Amino acid sequence: MGTEATGYDVPVGAYEDAKAMVGTTTPVRFGEIAVNAPMIRHYAAMVRDGNASYWDEDFAERHWGGAVAPPGMLMTWLIPLEWTPGGGRPVPLLTARVPLPGDTFINVSHDAEHFAPIRVGDHLNVVEELVDVSEAKRTSLGTGHFVTTVSTYRRQDGELVARATNVLYRFSSSSEDA
Amino acid sequence: MIPGVSYAQRYWDDVEEGAELPRVDDEITYRRVIMNPATTWDYFPGHHDPEYARSQGQPTIYVNTMHFLGFVDRLATEWGGPGSFIARRKISMQRSIYAGDTMVGEGRVARRYTDDTGPRVRHLVDLELTVKNQRGELCCPASVTLELPARGPEGPG
Amino acid sequence: MSGDAPAAGRAVEQESGFDLPIGTYDEARAMIGTRTEVEFATHDVAWPLIKYFCAMVQDGNASHWDEEYAREQWGAVVSPPALLMTWAMAPDWRPGNPRPRPLLAGQVPLPGTTVVSVGCDAEFFRPIRVGDRLNVEEELVDVSELKRTRLGEGHFLTTAATYRLGDGTPVARYSHLLFRFTPGDGEAP
Repeated sequence: MGTEATGYDVPVGAYEDAKAMVGTTTPVRFGEIAVNAPMIRHYAAMVRDGNASYWDEDFAERHWGGAVAPPGMLMTWLIPLEWTPGGGRPVPLLTARVPLPGDTFINVSHDAEHFAPIRVGDHLNVVEELVDVSEAKRTSLGTGHFVTTVSTYRRQDGELVARATNVLYRFSSSSEDA
Repeated sequence: MIPGVSYAQRYWDDVEEGAELPRVDDEITYRRVIMNPATTWDYFPGHHDPEYARSQGQPTIYVNTMHFLGFVDRLATEWGGPGSFIARRKISMQRSIYAGDTMVGEGRVARRYTDDTGPRVRHLVDLELTVKNQRGELCCPASVTLELPARGPEGPG
Repeated sequence: MSGDAPAAGRAVEQESGFDLPIGTYDEARAMIGTRTEVEFATHDVAWPLIKYFCAMVQDGNASHWDEEYAREQWGAVVSPPALLMTWAMAPDWRPGNPRPRPLLAGQVPLPGTTVVSVGCDAEFFRPIRVGDRLNVEEELVDVSELKRTRLGEGHFLTTAATYRLGDGTPVARYSHLLFRFTPGDGEAP
């Protein structure tokens, strides 16, 4: 059974191609779902987070002015649906569109600043920027490059809710050390 | 109107008993099976844990009841239109659909009738449907009673 | 890198919520007529979950995707009927109560070591609308004698669930048939 290419096939290219892309900014992309209570509950159950903000509506109202989402769900609100009636492939994240020699990847670090709570009912949008691609490095996974992107998240009224710096390691699956 | 979304509506008056529904083929990968717990919150291990599935005598993970329900309903409403109301739906799961299988949906109109025993007249169609795999093996026979709009003031909703 | 990789942890939950109580057919028969407490959903029917489910079964029905169409047709965006069980499902975990509550079928003592769903018959009385808050009550209706199928030897369980709105309005009735069995040595397919 083959794998499906929905957004996870990375383009192969040279380091120079990747360096030329540094500074690229995506157009604003909108989430396809609103921030909602059942997904918040489901996520909190998965990480076993008993924070009253996510389980007690009265507490959330008193403390935050309404139901709020765990900050850890930030990226989830922008993940495209696997399928929509209009068809077409979901747009991959910018970090997965950088041409480099490596055929696979693993995420390395995620540094997020939150400026305002994300609330039930919000529709978020994101703009991504490619800020750096490192030279070739060797790690225990193999030879690869570190790809740094900064994503800026806003609410439907334009308010800045979060900014996150993500470092992803793009490497060759066949180059793993013994 | 949103591109790709199904809007075409069938009216009860235009239905003929014995009519065949168009066949629908749907390839089910590991990813689609994993979407079962992701979308339905059904964590029964047979649908995400290959070791558990094998301990049950199954070759690998397989789709859950709600996936069968959703596929059967999709067959019925793709034919009947988005204004259809599923009044009754019965399925029997005789054979599993595994990651790697294809769900093949077919059906026919068994009966067209009205029911005036309730507060309003309902215009109903009974569908007999099957979900088979790519080898033609019957996995899931199903019956659906669909309420359709009629060309008149009464209708579902 | 040298040395052995650390041994992987246990990949299967100790308490999955699907641990089946072992018992006898007579014990199971004695449970017939048992009703669960009403389980109340802690959130309303929500459009995002509807979209995820429709994406999974690849259902482009306008009732689930086009708000304007759905409002005119049904009064609101509606849920696929297939997602009924999810709307009143107990959470997998909640604070102070780490064990998920199993379905009634998973609480019946019988000899079989595993279970599989074999049938369901559902009747719907009204559309399931975004904003509805459902509750569910289950009843054990029947336990069959020992049967042998292609899967193995076991018993068929029938449960019936009634789904309602908060004011008691019936939404659906769902009859579920499951096979509780011990795998192996089944009849030829």
